[in-house]
Amino acid sequence: MATPDLLFNLRNLFYLGAYQAAINNSDVPGLDADAATERDTIVFRSYIALGSYQLVISEIDSSAATSLQAVKLLALYLTGDKEGAISSLKEWLSDSAIGSNPVLRLIAGIIFMHGQDYNEALKHTHSGGTLDLHALNVQIFIKMHRSDYAEKQLKIMQQIDEDHTLTQLANAWLDIAVGGSKIREAYLIFQDFAEKYPMTGMVLNGKAVCCMHMGSFEEAETLLLEALNKDAKDPETLANLIVCNLHLGKPSSRFLSQLKLSHPDHVLVKNAASSDANFERALQAVA
Amino acid sequence: MAMHSLADNPAPASNGHEALPPNDTAPTLVTPIDLLPSSSAYSSLPLPPDPPPPPRRSSPRPGLEGLGLRRRGGWGRQAARMLTKFETKSNRVKGLSFHPRRPWILASLHSGVIQMWDYRMGTLLDRFDEHDGPVRGVHFHATQPLFVSGGDDYKIKVWNYKTHRCLFTLHGHLDYIRTVQFHHEYPWIVSASDDQTIRIWNWQSRTCVAVLTGHNHYVMCASFHPKEDLVVSASLDQTVRVWDIGALRKKTVSPADDILRLTQMNTDLFGGVDAVVKYVLEGHDRGVNWASFHPSLPLIVSGADDRQVKLWRMNDTKAWEVDTLRGHMNNVSCVMFHAKQDIIVSNSEDKSIRIWDATKRTGIQTFRREHDRFWILAAHPEMNLLAAGHDSGMIVFKLERERPAFCVSGDTVFYVKDRFLRFYEYSTQKEVQVAPIRRPGSVSLNQSPRTLSYSPTENAVLICSDADGGSYELYIVPKDSAGRSDYLQEAKKGAGGSAVFVARNRFAVLEKSSNQVLVRNLKNEIVKKSPLPIATDAIYYAGTGNLLCKAEDRVAIFDLQQRLVLGELQTPAVKYVVWSTDMESVALLSKHAVVIASKKLVHRCTLHETIRVKSGAWDENGVFIYTTLNHMKYCLPNGDSGIIKTLDVPIYITRVVGNNIFCLDRDGKNKLIAVDASEYIFKLALLRKRYDHVMSMIKNSQLCGQAVISYLQQKGFPEVALHFVKDEKTRFNLALESGNIQIAVASAKEIDDKDHWYRLGIEALRQGNVGIVEYAYQRTKNFERLAFLYLITGYLDKVGFMCKIAGQNNNLMGQFHNALYLGDAKKRVEILENAGQLPLAYVTAVTHGLTEIAARIAAELGENVPALPEGKSHSLLIPPAPLTACGDWPLLRVMRGIFEGGLDATGRAELEEDDEAAGADWGDEDLDIVDASEVVENGGDGFVDVEEGEPNEEDGEEGGWDLEDLELPPETETPKASGNARSAVFVAPTPGIPVSQIWTQRSSLAGEHAAAGNFDTAMRLLSRQLGIKNFAPLKPLFLDLHMGSHTYLRALAAAPVISVAVEKGWSESASPNVRGPPALVFSFSQLEDRLKAAYKATTEGKFPEALRQFQSILHTIPIIVVDSRREVDEVKELIEIVREYVLGLKMELKRKELKDDVTRQQELAAYFTNCKLQRVHMRLVLASAMALCFKQRNYATAAHFARMLLENSPQEAQARKARQVMQACQDKEDSHQLNYDFRNPFVVCGATYVPIYRGQKGDVSCPYCGSRFVPSIEGQLCTICELATVGADASGLLCSPTQLR
Repeated sequence: MATPDLLFNLRNLFYLGAYQAAINNSDVPGLDADAATERDTIVFRSYIALGSYQLVISEIDSSAATSLQAVKLLALYLTGDKEGAISSLKEWLSDSAIGSNPVLRLIAGIIFMHGQDYNEALKHTHSGGTLDLHALNVQIFIKMHRSDYAEKQLKIMQQIDEDHTLTQLANAWLDIAVGGSKIREAYLIFQDFAEKYPMTGMVLNGKAVCCMHMGSFEEAETLLLEALNKDAKDPETLANLIVCNLHLGKPSSRFLSQLKLSHPDHVLVKNAASSDANFERALQAVA
Repeated sequence: MAMHSLADNPAPASNGHEALPPNDTAPTLVTPIDLLPSSSAYSSLPLPPDPPPPPRRSSPRPGLEGLGLRRRGGWGRQAARMLTKFETKSNRVKGLSFHPRRPWILASLHSGVIQMWDYRMGTLLDRFDEHDGPVRGVHFHATQPLFVSGGDDYKIKVWNYKTHRCLFTLHGHLDYIRTVQFHHEYPWIVSASDDQTIRIWNWQSRTCVAVLTGHNHYVMCASFHPKEDLVVSASLDQTVRVWDIGALRKKTVSPADDILRLTQMNTDLFGGVDAVVKYVLEGHDRGVNWASFHPSLPLIVSGADDRQVKLWRMNDTKAWEVDTLRGHMNNVSCVMFHAKQDIIVSNSEDKSIRIWDATKRTGIQTFRREHDRFWILAAHPEMNLLAAGHDSGMIVFKLERERPAFCVSGDTVFYVKDRFLRFYEYSTQKEVQVAPIRRPGSVSLNQSPRTLSYSPTENAVLICSDADGGSYELYIVPKDSAGRSDYLQEAKKGAGGSAVFVARNRFAVLEKSSNQVLVRNLKNEIVKKSPLPIATDAIYYAGTGNLLCKAEDRVAIFDLQQRLVLGELQTPAVKYVVWSTDMESVALLSKHAVVIASKKLVHRCTLHETIRVKSGAWDENGVFIYTTLNHMKYCLPNGDSGIIKTLDVPIYITRVVGNNIFCLDRDGKNKLIAVDASEYIFKLALLRKRYDHVMSMIKNSQLCGQAVISYLQQKGFPEVALHFVKDEKTRFNLALESGNIQIAVASAKEIDDKDHWYRLGIEALRQGNVGIVEYAYQRTKNFERLAFLYLITGYLDKVGFMCKIAGQNNNLMGQFHNALYLGDAKKRVEILENAGQLPLAYVTAVTHGLTEIAARIAAELGENVPALPEGKSHSLLIPPAPLTACGDWPLLRVMRGIFEGGLDATGRAELEEDDEAAGADWGDEDLDIVDASEVVENGGDGFVDVEEGEPNEEDGEEGGWDLEDLELPPETETPKASGNARSAVFVAPTPGIPVSQIWTQRSSLAGEHAAAGNFDTAMRLLSRQLGIKNFAPLKPLFLDLHMGSHTYLRALAAAPVISVAVEKGWSESASPNVRGPPALVFSFSQLEDRLKAAYKATTEGKFPEALRQFQSILHTIPIIVVDSRREVDEVKELIEIVREYVLGLKMELKRKELKDDVTRQQELAAYFTNCKLQRVHMRLVLASAMALCFKQRNYATAAHFARMLLENSPQEAQARKARQVMQACQDKEDSHQLNYDFRNPFVVCGATYVPIYRGQKGDVSCPYCGSRFVPSIEGQLCTICELATVGADASGLLCSPTQLR
């Protein structure tokens, strides 16, 4: 029998978006060096997901493992030091000793993805190697509207471990992206998570998104409000609530201002700003 | 085949039909007694009979046969396992008979004893020991409490098992009797004997009514046909004979004739007319041991010493051999058709029971025994039970399981019945046939579904059976196929006797050989393999992703994903697993035990049963309801159990809802049994300390009885039991036990005997309740104790009083005692004096310095004054000063009894009133209790943490020494290579087309373009279609449309979110990757709601608000998308409605602005009435116009409005006013000239508010809202919709894809 996977819970918490719980439960005894590094990676990625970039930057010193350094790069990038982060990233990636570190590649993928440079991102991630990388590939391909490629990546993940949380999640993402009857399957996947693990904002959002795509905005609203109860500042919850309320014909401006305040660079906020300008431009063009 | 087997085993002696096979050397079986009776003694024809059988061993001690019950594992390893229900160990069993209704079986033994067993409970009920020598035949009567037996003592005995007596003995046979059987209808017994005859007896007249002769060797068996007037017999003369007894039946119409016919019988013996041989079946080439009829078909089956089973058929005129079943290796002793299945069962001296397919005539199964030859078979007349007698006892068994495979899911139970998958809905109590399931390929026993597992989301059913050595079948039931029985589906199959769903779309299959599970998906593909932690022989569901693995002596819960054992528990071999609905508790049912455990398999309690546990289900309160063979029972979380009801037949509980128990019976029928749950609910409430429930149950229900009282007493709730008890003595005891002294007093008063008062006194004293102690002592007139009580409690005056009483009662000692207690020396002297103890009185007086009295006494004593010891110092006996009298002792701990509220000293009468207040108090106490337990738990947890913490730290330290630095990545080379390869080969795909772009590619609908963010095309479309020029009012709508077009999905942490386009018209069957149009945030139905709001604002006179609403409707319509042509028309209609209102309201607002120009005011009011409005609004508009005109003395116009108002079915007040106006205006003229000619139809210009009369030339209109304008307005922005240019060219409203087709 295989040795029990000590980080199983931690990883699950992280993937399902229970970042604080992941941090709180990170004190796993009996880890070997590799596992401890992976544990730290997850913890720091959780901090990043919670927005505590400075903490990550200050806690990871130059003697830390490559993967942690990579995580630190991501934090640096997200605080705004984009050029610096990208230049060190490129330097490291070309370093043959560490260039193939999966975490580094993952972070590279994420960073280039933020820059919408999907080609560059895929250059480092396409070969996969870890489920994280494959999941990121799925995500990149979805963003590129290439669900055919995403599906191939998902197949690989399913071959590695079909029941892995990340595989299931990636499956749900793809299902939502391709739409149609698959939405129901995505919903069931999130439902499974909800039954199996503690409910997280991410799972609730996932369910709510499915509901919205299935046209049941009332149910989506209930789910989103539940998610809002868990975290009143979660950007996706707020964004989806705005969308949901728009469809329900309910006022959404409060959520919008909340989102603008807390996450001024959220896609929805940016889109709103750009479409404003877009409108004016169009007005000029038509006039 | 037959020849071969004969050659292998030397044929036994033809007559030695009980001889041991030569190769059998098992010494335990060859007891001399066993061999004595028949084997060697009979080599010639039996007439004249041999001398009486030799004296036999005295019958064994009572109960000896009962030893070694339920012996297990008696079967050879190669044979299939038999479903043994009961086994006995005894002397050789030669005859067997099932009771038709009760779970009893008779076994007649070679030792001469007849045993009556309860095979369900496994107990020996009775033994009948009057036969001398082996008893070979025994049979229960179908209806009477009788049985008949026949033995080697030539006797047929008829017994009454109720009175345990042999009623009479039928004499007549001249040799051993082989079989006896009651007729199912007539008062007859048929018997077969070694005297070569078959006799029919009337057991009412106790006479022999027929002797059937014809066989010329021992008749080994004879039996009545179950319906017809036939008897079949088998004989060692190698024949089977069928006898017609029709004539006998006709003669026996009146049983009284029997006596008369006694004389006739002899003639029958020779010229036999009553019973004639109908057919002689020849074919066996050795002696035939058994023959029996088919229960319904004209078939006979026989078994003989030629090791063959033969099947015979008969019609009215002849009978012939049909087939021969070969396979037994030795003499076939007994054979019969199975009543319910199409099979033949035979057993033989080759120590096997064989099952044959009656139609294909092939062997299906063989059950072998290692040492015991089989002699007899019996079938239960009603149930699927068989019994077989062998050399060392008998077994009761069945061939097929009768438990229907079922699985409960939500409101339904899925089960298999008659090769159909069905489900039953609890709420509607409806049964639905879902789909047929496969018949097993091979004809064999126990191939029917054994377990069933269901995945509700996928509507998939997994059925496991023993077919093909353990296999499963997966059916995915289409949702709409329910009720369509013709639907046949190809199941996905696989090997593995135990398979169960572990997730929505995953099931686990046990692979026993390698002790691993294969996780498969719904396509039956292996997804994962996982070795199991314990040697598993069955798996069960244990929550998503978890398996409960069952080994011989334990179970474990195994997480398939983490490969972790979550819990393990030692249990007897588990057969069924029942989870509670919340998955927090699990009941593990084994053959004779129920184990309740938590979801982590932490043991909670175990219940042991003496008979088989069959099924169970959890009720919603956490009580486990289960059934055994004959009882339905409950089990509380603490392990308390009790019987709910007795069952006649086994049932399988599927679900418990309140008092309703749903179950399946053996025929696969769903049943609903209502039970009285109050007892266990009561106990549960008590256990959970829900005293409010307890109290209300006590008040409202009739639960009572000694059992409940003693339960309460045992469980430490004597005070609750007090509520039930009427008997004063019990009440008294309970009251003492619960320390409720008040009740005890009340009861003691009722009982009023010394003993109870005494005990009351003791208890009251223990509690320090002095008043009651005093009372109890008074009642028992126990003055000594009373006085002492007064002393110690300080009531000295009462002691004095006691002293007086003692004096009155001439109780000198008492009096003296009390005086001592009081320290009253004078009194003592006086008492002593009165008692004539003068010397003592004197001494006392002297000692206490009562010199006067001493002198007086000395005088009386004269010379006999006692001498006082000299030179000794004395101390006076002075009682210590008592405590101040203080009444009852204060109680240290004021514990309010939980039921105190209901039990005041005043007694039961006040119970009702006190309850409410008491209930409130209980609530508090409840909380306290909970708190306490929490504290305990927390404390416990903390302790555990500490214990676990230490080793962890150690681990950590060890980890700290890991030589991390030395383990430099050794394989830096390989990834580099792959890294290079990756960048060299990989070409990123070109990005695909975003969904929003797809939306715009085909669409000409402005709303869809706006949603996609293509604002410029949206504007161009609107401009072209509706001539819209002013887009400012549309801006927020555009932005909302775009904002609402995508949802946001967080994927990997810190990576950019995925935005997903929201499409319209989703359906379950929509194919993926086919994009639908965007789901717009504005819908037509929203506009309808807004219209209602606008109407309401209008009615309320909030004109600016109403105008805003109407205009927002007009602004939204251009970007609306509807699905049908009909809706397009509705949208167009809406534009017109709204347009009229906007125009009207604008004029009304304009009118309010005009303060001075009364003529214009009236005109605007008049034009407003020209708008098409809702009637309610029209009335208001008309009323207002009427009032305005009337005020301005434009009587004719006012009258016109009044008339119009009246036509618009106004309310009474309005109508009255209108009539008044008409009255007042009659024939009067207008004072102002208005530009208003209601006789000439007109429209009002939306900008200038002047009428454009019909026929007037040159008016222009708005291309969008259709408002009309005077020509001068052309080219300007429409003032009504504020969107389009008046008079602009436009192609028209396009708001539905249907318009494009």
